[in-house]
Amino acid sequence: MTLTVHVARLGSARRPLLENLRLQAGPGEILTLMGPSGCGKSSLLAAIAGTLGDVAEGAQALRFDGTVSLDGQDLTHRPTAQRGIGLLFQDPLLFAHMSVEENLLFAVPPGPLAERRAQVAQALEEAGLAGFGPADAATLSGGQRARVALMRALLARPRALLLDEPFSRLDAALRQQFRAFVADQVRARGIPAILVTHDAADIADPAHLVELPHAG
Amino acid sequence: MRPAHLTAVLGLALVLAVPWLAVTGFALGSLLDASAWRALAQDPQLPQALGLTLWTGLASTALAWWGAARLLAHGFVQRSVDRLLRGQPWMLATPHAAFAIGLVFLLSPSGWLLRALSPGLTGFELPPPWPTTQDPWGLGLILALVAKEIPFLLWAAATQLQRDDLRRRWRSEHALAQTLGYAPRAAWWRVVWPQLAPRLRWPLLAVLAYGLTVVDMALVIGPASPPTLAVLAWQWLQDADLAVNAQGAAAGGALALLVLAAALGVQAGQPARGRARTDGSRGRPASTTAATRAGAGRVLLVALYLAVLAALAVGSVAGLWPFPRLWPEALTLQAWQSVWSSGATVGTTLGLAAGSAALALVWSVAWLELAPRRWDHALRPLVYLPLVLPAVLWVVGLYRLALWAQLEGQWAGLLLAHTVMALPYVLLTLSPAYLGTDPRLAAVSASLGHGRASFLWRIKWPLLRRSLAASAAVGFAVSVAQYLPTLYVGAGRFASVTTEAVTLAAGAQRSLTSAYAALQFALPVLAFGLAAWVGRPRRFTVGAP
Repeated sequence: MTLTVHVARLGSARRPLLENLRLQAGPGEILTLMGPSGCGKSSLLAAIAGTLGDVAEGAQALRFDGTVSLDGQDLTHRPTAQRGIGLLFQDPLLFAHMSVEENLLFAVPPGPLAERRAQVAQALEEAGLAGFGPADAATLSGGQRARVALMRALLARPRALLLDEPFSRLDAALRQQFRAFVADQVRARGIPAILVTHDAADIADPAHLVELPHAG
Repeated sequence: MRPAHLTAVLGLALVLAVPWLAVTGFALGSLLDASAWRALAQDPQLPQALGLTLWTGLASTALAWWGAARLLAHGFVQRSVDRLLRGQPWMLATPHAAFAIGLVFLLSPSGWLLRALSPGLTGFELPPPWPTTQDPWGLGLILALVAKEIPFLLWAAATQLQRDDLRRRWRSEHALAQTLGYAPRAAWWRVVWPQLAPRLRWPLLAVLAYGLTVVDMALVIGPASPPTLAVLAWQWLQDADLAVNAQGAAAGGALALLVLAAALGVQAGQPARGRARTDGSRGRPASTTAATRAGAGRVLLVALYLAVLAALAVGSVAGLWPFPRLWPEALTLQAWQSVWSSGATVGTTLGLAAGSAALALVWSVAWLELAPRRWDHALRPLVYLPLVLPAVLWVVGLYRLALWAQLEGQWAGLLLAHTVMALPYVLLTLSPAYLGTDPRLAAVSASLGHGRASFLWRIKWPLLRRSLAASAAVGFAVSVAQYLPTLYVGAGRFASVTTEAVTLAAGAQRSLTSAYAALQFALPVLAFGLAAWVGRPRRFTVGAP
C-alpha cells in the first residue's frame, strides 16, 4: 500500500498555504512533515482525509487542488467515510458516552458480534490494556487514552494513517514509549503513515522527512 | 453546498422566516392607523400609564442589575460562585405569573406577612385596608420583577463565568491585582466586573424590555387604575370595539418604540461598561460587614422564593383561614379536586408545551446541524424578534396571522403561536453546546468509516443528550408560561393553567388560584427534573482496573 499526495495548491482564496508539493509514503513507512505552526500541516492532513470542509467556511474556507491516491486508486473526491484513511489527533478524542470497549467496537467493521468483540479484546491486549474494556475512558491515564485512540483508528482497518501531532500532549517519558508503539503498529500492519509535528524528536525516520516552508 | 443540502437549509429558513415575517408584518401593519395613534395620544390615562411603565421598568432593571452585581462580587471573592449559581435553575424556572401570585399572598393585607405580625405587633384584628399588593406606586411589581430578574442575570453571568478560558483568566487577573495591593473586593470591581459587565449587555436589555412590557405579572401585582401601559394595551386589545383594539395595537407600538429607545440608550450610554478605574486606590481591606450583607442578600432571595412557594402550596389546600391566624383552620383538597376535574385545562397546557417544545427542538437541531454559519448569523435577528418586540404587539401579529390562516381559536393556531414563542429560547439555549461540539469528532467518526447519520445518532446526539433535554425543557417551560397568546390566539376558547391562574388572581378564590399557580410552577419544574434525569451522565460499571 502506497499513499501518494500531490498538492497543486492548498489555501484560502486569498492566501496559499502550500503549493507544488509531492508526498509519498510506502508500506510500513512513516513520512514526517516538519514545519512551524500555521504552515498548513494540519490542513494538509485534513485535505488528505477529506475533512477540510469541516474545519472552516466562508472567507476562511480552505480549498485543496490536487490528488490523493492509494496504490494508484484516486481518492480525491471520495467522502471521508469511504477513503479508509485513519486519523489520530493531539487529543485522543475518545467518545465520552462510550466505554473503552464501545469506543473500539465503534471502529470495527460490521460482522458477527463475537468476532468483533474478539478483535477488540485482542487490540486491548496488544495495547497492554486487557481488562479495561468496560471502563469509562475518562478514568484512563493520558498514555492509556492515547493507546486506545491508536487502537481505535487501527481497528477500522485503515489503508493509511494520518498522525496530527499525536505525541505533543504526552509527557517526555510517555512520548518516547508511544512513539515506539505507533511505529511498531504501523510497521506490523504494513500501511503508509504521514506524521506532522514541529518537534524534531518526533521524526520517525530521517530518510523520510519533508520540511515545509513557512506560509506566505 | 450540494443541491439537496441547499434545499434543506432553504426550506428550514423559509419555515421559520415566513411565519415570523408574517407576524411582524401584521403587527406593524396594525400600527398604520393614524386615528388610533391620535386616540392613544389623547387618552387621559396615557401620561400616568406611561409614567408607571417607565418607573417600574427602569427601577426594577436598575435594582436587579445592582443586586446581581453585588451577589456576583460576593460569590467571586468568596469563591462560592458555583454554589451561588447552582441554586439558580429552579428560581429561573418559576413562572413570572406564579411568582407574582405567591408574592401577593405574602404581601396582601390578609397575607402571611401581616398575619405573622398581627395582632401582636400591629394590633390588627382584621386585615387593614392597605393597597399593599396592587399598590398605585408599582412597588409590588418592582419587587416581583427584581426577584425574578436577578436569577436571570446570574444565569447569564454564569454562562460567562463557567467558561474555562474566562474563569481561568479572570481568576489569575484577580489574584494578580491582589498582589498589587488591591483588596479582594476592589480587585473584583476594578478588574473582573468591568470585563464581565459588557458581556451582560444583551441580557440587561432583555430584562429592561421585559420590565417595560410585562402583562401577566402586572395584571396580578401591578397598579390597577391606571395600570402600566402594557396592561392598558392588553385591556384595549380585548375590547369589543375595533377602534379601541386599534388603539391597543398603537399602545403596543409605543412600547416597541420605548424598548428601541432603551436599546439605543444601553448601546450609547453603555451603563454596563464599568469605566476602568485607575486612581490607584486599593480599597479597604476585606470588610466582614460588606461580606455579611451580600451573603444575607443571597439568603434573602432564596428565602423569598421559598416563602412564595410555601404561600402557594399552603394556599392551595387552605380551607377556612380567618385573619390573623398563621395557619388555616382546615385543610382541604377541594381546589386540587376542581383542578383535576377540569382535566382539559391541564391537558391543553401539557399538549401545547410538549408539542411546541418538540417542534422547536426539531427545527433548532436541524438548523444548527445543516445551516452554514453565515446563514445562521443572518437569520438570528429574525428568530429573536419575539424576545424583543413587546408581547402585546407581537400577539396582535400572531392573532392576525391566525385569522388570515383561519387558525384562530383552533388548536393548530395555538400550537403555532406557542412554537413561535418557545423556539427562540430553545435555539438560544441549545446553540452554545451544539455549535461547540469539537469538529474533530466528526472527522474521527468519518475516518472510522461511519457516515453522517451514524455519527449523528451514535456520537453527536448522545453526547449532546443533556443539552438537548435541557433546551426542550426550556421550550416546555416557556410554553407553559404563555398568557397573552393562549388567550388571544385561542380566542378565549382554550384555558391553560397560566390563563386560569392569572384570571383567577383577580378574584377571591385563594385556594383555587394558588392551586393553578402551584401547578404552573410544578409543570416546568417537572420538565426540568425529567430533563436532568434524561441528561444524567452515564454511570460506568467499573473504572479503570
